[in-house]
Amino acid sequence: MQIDLRTVTIEPQRHAYDHLEQRFGAKPASRYQEASYDIQAVENLHYRPTWDPEQQLYDPDLSRVRMRDWYAIKDPRQFYYSSYTLTRARQQDTAEANFAFVESRGLSALMPGELTAQVLALLMPLRHAAWGANQNNTLICGYGFGTTFTQPCMFQAMDQLGIAQYLSRLGLLLGDPESLGAGKRAWMVDATWQPLRHYTEDTMALRDPVEVFVAQNLVLDGLLYPLVYEHLVDDVLSARGASCVAMLTQFMSEWGSETRKWIDAVTKTLAAESADNRAALCDWIDRWLPRAALAVLPIVAIVLGDQAQSAVEDQMTDFAGRLGKAGVTR
Amino acid sequence: MAVVALKPYPLRPVDGIEHYHGDQLVYWSWDHHLMFAAPFITCPSPSTRVVDFLEATIRPLIAADPDADRVDWTCVEWIRDHEPIAIDVGKSFSENGIGHKDLLRFRTPGMNTLCG
Amino acid sequence: MDMKVQKAKLGLKEKYRLMTRDLGWTPSYQPHEKLYPYAAYEGIVIHDWDKWEDPFRLTMDAYWKYQAEKDRKFYAIIDAHAQNNGHLNITDARYLSALKIFLQAISPGEYCAHKGFARAGREFPGVGTQVACQMQSIDELRHAQTQIHALSSYNRYYDGFHAFIQMRDRMWYNSVPRSFFDDAMTGGPFEFMVAIGFSFEYVLTNLLFVPFMSGAAYNGDMATVTFGFSAQSDEARHMTLGLECIKFILEQDPANLPIVQRWLDKWFWRGLRLLSLVGTMMDYMLPKRVMSWAEAWEIYAEDNGSALFKDLARYGIRPPKGWKDAAKARDHISHQFMLAFYQWSFGTAFHGWIPSEADLDWLSSKYPETFDRHYRPRWDYFKKLADAGTQFRNVGLAKLCQCCQMPCVFTEPDDPTLLCHRERVIDGHRYHFCSDHCREIVEHEPEKYVQAWMPMNQLFQGTSGGGGIENWMRWVNLVDGKDNGDFVGSRDQRNFAAWRGMATSNNGT
Repeated sequence: MQIDLRTVTIEPQRHAYDHLEQRFGAKPASRYQEASYDIQAVENLHYRPTWDPEQQLYDPDLSRVRMRDWYAIKDPRQFYYSSYTLTRARQQDTAEANFAFVESRGLSALMPGELTAQVLALLMPLRHAAWGANQNNTLICGYGFGTTFTQPCMFQAMDQLGIAQYLSRLGLLLGDPESLGAGKRAWMVDATWQPLRHYTEDTMALRDPVEVFVAQNLVLDGLLYPLVYEHLVDDVLSARGASCVAMLTQFMSEWGSETRKWIDAVTKTLAAESADNRAALCDWIDRWLPRAALAVLPIVAIVLGDQAQSAVEDQMTDFAGRLGKAGVTR
Repeated sequence: MAVVALKPYPLRPVDGIEHYHGDQLVYWSWDHHLMFAAPFITCPSPSTRVVDFLEATIRPLIAADPDADRVDWTCVEWIRDHEPIAIDVGKSFSENGIGHKDLLRFRTPGMNTLCG
Repeated sequence: MDMKVQKAKLGLKEKYRLMTRDLGWTPSYQPHEKLYPYAAYEGIVIHDWDKWEDPFRLTMDAYWKYQAEKDRKFYAIIDAHAQNNGHLNITDARYLSALKIFLQAISPGEYCAHKGFARAGREFPGVGTQVACQMQSIDELRHAQTQIHALSSYNRYYDGFHAFIQMRDRMWYNSVPRSFFDDAMTGGPFEFMVAIGFSFEYVLTNLLFVPFMSGAAYNGDMATVTFGFSAQSDEARHMTLGLECIKFILEQDPANLPIVQRWLDKWFWRGLRLLSLVGTMMDYMLPKRVMSWAEAWEIYAEDNGSALFKDLARYGIRPPKGWKDAAKARDHISHQFMLAFYQWSFGTAFHGWIPSEADLDWLSSKYPETFDRHYRPRWDYFKKLADAGTQFRNVGLAKLCQCCQMPCVFTEPDDPTLLCHRERVIDGHRYHFCSDHCREIVEHEPEKYVQAWMPMNQLFQGTSGGGGIENWMRWVNLVDGKDNGDFVGSRDQRNFAAWRGMATSNNGT
């Protein structure tokens, strides 16, 4: 029997699930709220992990920072699986069109060989840096506490995998599999890339999910993405005739500024919680920021040569501004 | 056998008698009387007389079974850990040697109205 | 000049290699075991991660595109469902009990799988394996979220859904799925993979999804059908991953066989215990039934499972130890559970009921060997008591199994008239089990199971709300008289009937 049910007006018995009414009041909840708040188990955990019985299965004490409520952390983009996936699918449509545009018109072949070589020297080793970022964000998602903190990190991890794959496609379009191989050899042995690989491996040895967040998302990518994609590719290399490369890395530029809003919001919430948290964040920044600056310098120098130092310094100034706005001060 | 772990993983029971405020857990099951879906978990004081507990707690729990009225605690056959044991229901749990988390099964041969 | 022509066309496999496993490298600034500290302690030996065959070659661009298409459709349908009072299309409000159990017990499990696969996606040292685990991790997040979204509109109108978050951690029967997933997640990455990726996803998940989702379709529940249908293509990927993973582990080193075999024994049995809840939903909670639990078990476990284990025999794998006892229990467990839920319905956030005569006849026909002999007399007697106004409520709390945390409702494998009692003293403490297999699991890892959070025992320790049933109900967010009790006379029953009446009489106005 098919009945027309739209004609019926029924008074709901309640507006939202209890935990959401407790947090946000007796009103309908958004899809982001339903998808994100309190959905990780918190109490009456049954067993201790076999890798370390002093830890709990979900353990906020894995981090030095403390939150009375980890769900104070929010994603300003309000990404849950669906809104995330739909956003990326739209960006992927653009990226696909850009790749097709460059490929069909043979634009990459119009670039001087020397310029192409420079682009590949800059971008191919970054496939591996992106993979390192994938590893680190996967760890944060796995061991961080509270879904509003951890779920965007899984999205970030998948994004970094996507970026590594866009870079691979770019390499195959501008060069060939050997271009990727040369990039990997540079990543492994060239002096230019060793500080960054060293940094990446050291962050992969960390187990405090928030320190990983700071070292990878806030600090390293906070310098690397604006410098490489916004400054070097979009400005410098485009001006030298590699504007088609900027089309191929449009995703990374947009993604960099989009994710910075989220990273800043998280950092701000962590810092606002307590002086202890601010001290932890500052200690980590003191530990990682100078190393990150040294690591990006030779990479920027691939394109800028002697002017790399001042470009990095400018970026450090911008970065200090971000930290100030996020309230990360002692 | 022991759990395979990366670090020493000590045996830490969380259910010892010290958590029960002087009482202890005792489980009960009436053999072949499946109206009651599972054995009962109860928490008597070790110094309670067994018959007092049976009358106050267990008899009301099993009252819905058509055989319940005919149960005579002095005649039932008791089984603990798959062995018959003698229980003097006039004495306390501790006097009968009934310990924390013992399961006491009782059998009433000839009574099986529902699950025969 | 035309470089495009000179370029050799890359094979798919080679292209995918460059997109994934070529991204990783051998570290030199940190020792390998510092970056992958949990990869070795379980004793699984992997000589060459490159021997891993990618079960599906999905890059992120394709992933976003396919998944977004599916999600657009899914949310369009559940939006319409919510706006058009789609909940009134279900066959009967009794059906909601199945959904309530699903949201309380299964959806939090999806989230555990999300979290567990994120950990595995970091801990395995092979890039191919990591990428597959990471994709499964966000898929599982998707499943948890789509389920919570789909059932959200039911929550607005019906009882028993509202506190699934609190009940996940506190409700006694939810410690069955919780302990299952906690157990898998507290193992190392390999055990997690065998437990969830293989035993649960590959061997048992069809039993959960196929009959449950066809049950939803039969009963007019478009919201659930939609999330089930939408999850199915993800599940196909997950099953492939589970199978690939187990073959990979077994091919790497002969020393892995006994470890994997024990995990299969353990996780088959734990999965079976968890899924007996599904059997109860299928046999009792669907007003219109698709097939019996016994029939589903025959098709999806016995037939498919036999073929699978025949295939794995070349690695030396034999069917799980509990296989025969599972077959013996097939014709019993759904009845044992529904009889239990009925008598304990004061303590469940879903309704129980006595099946109608027609339902009992259906059960008799589906379980000719067991139902009339063992279970129908009990239902008849319960009905006699209810008709006399003395409805049977079992206010006794139940003994739980130290391993699976089920109330010990199961009978001896060879004697359906006697409950199965198993116990063991470990280091001076006594523990109870529902079966030989659960006892064996605990004997193997006693350190793990002696710390289990046992909800009934905790009640007597006074930790669950401070003692007493009323405090306990407040503590689990159970609204007495609304969420619990018999379906007959419940608010859900009244409201559904009234709203349906309005819909029918208002039709066309």
